[in-house]
Amino acid sequence: MIARRNRMIPALFILPSLLFLGIFIYIPLVQNFYNSFFDFSVFSPTKEYVGFSAFEQLFADKVVMTAFINNIKYAIISVIFQVAFALVLATILEDKLFRRIAPMLRIIYFIPVMISISVIALLFNFIYNPQMGLLNSFLELVGLESLALPWLGNATTSIYAVIAMSQWQSIGFITMLFIVAIQKIPKELYEAANIDGAGKIRQFFNITVPQVKEALFVNMLITITGAMLVFNEPYILTNGGPGTSSMTLSVYMYQQGFFKDNMGYASAVATLIFVVTAIFALIQIKVSGTGKDE
Amino acid sequence: MKKTLCFSILLLLLSTLLAACNSGEEQSANADGKVEIDFFHRWPNEPRKSFYDEKVKEYMEQNPDVHINVDYVLNDAYKEKVRVLVSSDELPDIFTAWSDSFAENLVSSERIMPLNEVIQEDEEWSTKIIDSQFGGFTFDDTTYGVPFTVDGKAFFYNKAAFEENNIEIPKTYDELIAALDKLQSAGYEQPLVEGLTNTWAISHYLGTIFERVVDPAVLEKDYNEETAEFTDQGYIQGLEMFEELTGYMGDVSTAIDHEAARNMFAAGEVPVLYMQFAEIKMVEEAGDVEFGFFDFPEVEGAAGDPTALTGAPEGWMVSKNAPEETIDFLKFLTSEETAAEFTKTDGQLNAIEGAVTEENVNPTSLEAYELITNASSTAPWFDNAVNINVADVFMRGGQSLATGQATPEDILKEAQQEAANQK
Repeated sequence: MIARRNRMIPALFILPSLLFLGIFIYIPLVQNFYNSFFDFSVFSPTKEYVGFSAFEQLFADKVVMTAFINNIKYAIISVIFQVAFALVLATILEDKLFRRIAPMLRIIYFIPVMISISVIALLFNFIYNPQMGLLNSFLELVGLESLALPWLGNATTSIYAVIAMSQWQSIGFITMLFIVAIQKIPKELYEAANIDGAGKIRQFFNITVPQVKEALFVNMLITITGAMLVFNEPYILTNGGPGTSSMTLSVYMYQQGFFKDNMGYASAVATLIFVVTAIFALIQIKVSGTGKDE
Repeated sequence: MKKTLCFSILLLLLSTLLAACNSGEEQSANADGKVEIDFFHRWPNEPRKSFYDEKVKEYMEQNPDVHINVDYVLNDAYKEKVRVLVSSDELPDIFTAWSDSFAENLVSSERIMPLNEVIQEDEEWSTKIIDSQFGGFTFDDTTYGVPFTVDGKAFFYNKAAFEENNIEIPKTYDELIAALDKLQSAGYEQPLVEGLTNTWAISHYLGTIFERVVDPAVLEKDYNEETAEFTDQGYIQGLEMFEELTGYMGDVSTAIDHEAARNMFAAGEVPVLYMQFAEIKMVEEAGDVEFGFFDFPEVEGAAGDPTALTGAPEGWMVSKNAPEETIDFLKFLTSEETAAEFTKTDGQLNAIEGAVTEENVNPTSLEAYELITNASSTAPWFDNAVNINVADVFMRGGQSLATGQATPEDILKEAQQEAANQK
């Protein structure tokens, strides 16, 4: 009886979180998968079973392909700027040379993270504005009129304009996570390296990078899944336009579901997003082999 | 021990279930016994927001036992929000609706109140509303909405710019192109402008162009979801015309919205703009250009209707579960008094007889009003006329045409596919 009771108590502790996870995450997930086999609209209470046809449509859909490629671009650029560049930034901020102004710089870099995304999008709308935008005015000022473009209205630049805004916003957050990780590195390692005559760059690659491996992995996971799920930025800035040039999977899912009333198809897109993010997460966990080395 | 555990789990599960059942039921009377009406409109922008805030206040003063909750979001967001709300029990008691397919979709949810009896019961009120405007809200002889604002779309031009360059008002599409060329060579970098980030603006263009170039019988067939095919070559011609027109709009058009385009027109930067009559007052307030308007010109040799006016009424719909008092509030909103005051404040014309006069509108608007009420036939906005999936192909396609990412043939092919998917 006592052994039994002991086994029950931990179960009881995790029960509330399990219950919430179940109701708000796992059940909707299964339900979404189930919905993707039906064709229905929000207006009608009846659902028509269509089997795998939504998935067939999904793989033949050119917009899904465009959106997927845009998400991949988002992920690659985000990893370069938010993970690689943020790590460099964090190292610089933690360097002795910057001790004095580092706290101020940290705040400056972190401010964009605290601003609402809608406000930022509105702000960038003004920056990108072709007639009176800051960006084009700046280019004209330095004599680069030829580079001035209607950034959000041009099919080739729109997605990059959207991505650029995200980098500006999120880099401070990732930098902060790296700073915390760097602060946990024992100082003796750097001192020893100094005595051995290792320079700053050598120290960065041989001490900082291996020591923040865990944080690096977590940040990669955050940025890549974030890039696969990105919705707010493209939705507010361009709504996927012009045409479908800056469409992402989440925006497409939203439009299919709530703008065009193809709830079944939207569920299929949602399933695709889930599968893609799950695969990425699994690959990363496998590759980094995290949790083993502590 | 085991029993208590089982019991507590059961209790937890039950409580969540109960909580789920509890929401969404009856909320029509609040704590102090007042009847609550949820009122949802799509004008968070001035002057209408204040106008409706005023009216709601006025109504609540006259009827102390009624409390009205107002909520609002802007155009495109409104369309999305209403679609979501109508699928739940949260549908507001009274709300704005466009006519035709937008209204039809809402009606198909079976949550909208049929208004035939209400209209028949109170003829003093209902006969004041211009009869022809009910059409877009009537499906299978049942009326589900009360039209309020009427509208139409035309090319507005800067009178000074036309006079300086000796340009006559174009009677045909070719003359329009010639006029735009002339304006361009006179120094207007963009003789025409539109905010193409607003996809509805594209649908307005395409809708009218199709009216002009496609046989009305074919249009009627294609606008019906059951028989839509979109195989007529007129659509190609129409899309080519749109592509040609976007050529005059310059690079900025795909990056700005309609409001920015209107401000450019009002500032005299751009001499021609395709816009709604409802915007006349806004242009007058934003700038001091003198302007007139002309209907979208006829396309020579095309099979379409050369004079059909594009424009549809907007009105009010009532939820099936709305409290009785909502009907009274509806009548208040569409009364001659409210309507006259509305047009005076906002400038948009309305469907209430006697509420648009020389006293509350300017001569340009009055001219437009006569055009609307006398038009041989009116065509609804394109995005309301066809299935939204097909409309979206054309609207996004319009953006792609402007940025050179697609050809008219690509778009039409996609539209045909989408139309076939809808059957």
